[in-house]
Amino acid sequence: MPKEWVVVYSITDFITVGMLLTVVAMNSLKRMESFLRAYTINSILLAALMAVSAFYLDAAHLYIAAAVTLASKGVAIPLLLRKVVRSLKITHEAEPNINTPLSLVISSVLVVIVYSSLSKGIFIEGFTENTLKVSISIILISLFIMITRKKAVTQVIGLLLMENGLFLAGFSLTYGMSTIIELGVVFDVLMGAIILGVFLSQIKKTFIDLDLDKLTTLKG
Amino acid sequence: MEKLQFMLILLLSPLAQGIIKKLKAMMQGRRGTPVLQPYYDLARLFKKDMTIPGTASWIFHAAPYVVFASVLAASMLVPVFSAGGRPSGLLAGGGGFFGMGDIIAIIYTLALGRFFMALGGLDAGTVFGGEGSSREMTVAILVEPSMMLAIFTVAAASGSTNLGVIANSGNFFFSPAHVLALAAFFVAVIAETGRIPVDNPDTHLELTMIHEGMLLEYSGKYLAVMEWAHYMKQMLLFTLAADLFFPYGIAGAGAGAGIGIAAAGFWAGKMLALCFGMALVESTRAKMRFFQLPSLLGAAFVLSALSMITFVMTGK
Repeated sequence: MPKEWVVVYSITDFITVGMLLTVVAMNSLKRMESFLRAYTINSILLAALMAVSAFYLDAAHLYIAAAVTLASKGVAIPLLLRKVVRSLKITHEAEPNINTPLSLVISSVLVVIVYSSLSKGIFIEGFTENTLKVSISIILISLFIMITRKKAVTQVIGLLLMENGLFLAGFSLTYGMSTIIELGVVFDVLMGAIILGVFLSQIKKTFIDLDLDKLTTLKG
Repeated sequence: MEKLQFMLILLLSPLAQGIIKKLKAMMQGRRGTPVLQPYYDLARLFKKDMTIPGTASWIFHAAPYVVFASVLAASMLVPVFSAGGRPSGLLAGGGGFFGMGDIIAIIYTLALGRFFMALGGLDAGTVFGGEGSSREMTVAILVEPSMMLAIFTVAAASGSTNLGVIANSGNFFFSPAHVLALAAFFVAVIAETGRIPVDNPDTHLELTMIHEGMLLEYSGKYLAVMEWAHYMKQMLLFTLAADLFFPYGIAGAGAGAGIGIAAAGFWAGKMLALCFGMALVESTRAKMRFFQLPSLLGAAFVLSALSMITFVMTGK
């Protein structure tokens, strides 16, 4: 069978581990631009995984889903967020609540917990058997990033990453839902990103700063 | 013949250093020193007289020999172009010496050399020597876990910690775990050889030096021996990286002379590629502040930990 190379060279493993790596790398990044770039790479890898699966499974609708994912999460949302970040003049994340080495260690501990708790009783066979574990790790680490960061923009990116993880989990269990559902989900995320972008500008306008700790101070 | 393969590391390591320097100079638009310059330096240093600090004890005199001997012993345990020979037993089989010790023995033989180098720096009794030693040991503590975890991933994948077996098993870059381990190992090699994000090999600026600080009081033959040991350690680590991650092309047991020569050619190509990579990293990165190093080396540790987890998860 000519398509065996997908399994032989464990292409799906490479792509999913690459996605995990971009999320873990977020813990040690400080600049907003590199944050956005990591998110972009993550989304492109997600689209690539769908394209590889489409090729392997001979499923035409997955090609459409991959193209839509690439266009929205890989191009539109990063461009939008970059515009927001530039217009708000945020270049650096403030020092996170937990320092870099500790948060790196915590996120790898999260990965260990996920792997050890999912090692038995999960019934996925075939070429995406490891994808579910990676996707749940991605969800947990993005949640952790959202908790430990102070700036609103970083939290938005954390939320989007979490959505990527959820998408990956759903994909690994179902090999892609019907096209209309995928389009709906993608449209939802796009709308969410736009609303959050507007929301960020409003926070900036009202509170001068995007540091969410300062939202607790009373405004008269 | 195969028993003498460590001679390649012994004799060609200054050339590798010269090539890295030349590549760096070319990338930075300078003409640079000749490729053979490290040989000229060593020859000149061997001819010069030595100045010994008044406070120095026997440790100062012993350190160069211990450092050189430990690196030489470690390089005997590494397959350079031939991984033949039985994996166990003293001097068994027709291959190299690497039946005598596995990868863990290599890493800790190198640690012995590092320990004596740090002692020698302290023994000279100057401020900069002590400073260099203290920094060197700090970096060593941070590097060791990531290096060992990366090596354990590869060892677990091939089922043995013996380098001959690992190189023969031909795990050529075939799984995500290997890629992650390679990335962690590369950072560890940069830190171990004192290259730019960690230490600057070209400067004697007192506030930044690590390796040079320890050697500051050495001169003449001792300095030559120390420098040569440093070049050898660098090439040894490159060879280790080639054996662990790109063993493709290495000659197996009982291979003929033709295959041996081809394998030596493969090895030379891999060394050139690694030299190029090092020169590229050194030319494009800035040196980090010393107190930022834990964050770089911590990232390397997480990479190697992830590679171990990935290996356990995917089973390859």
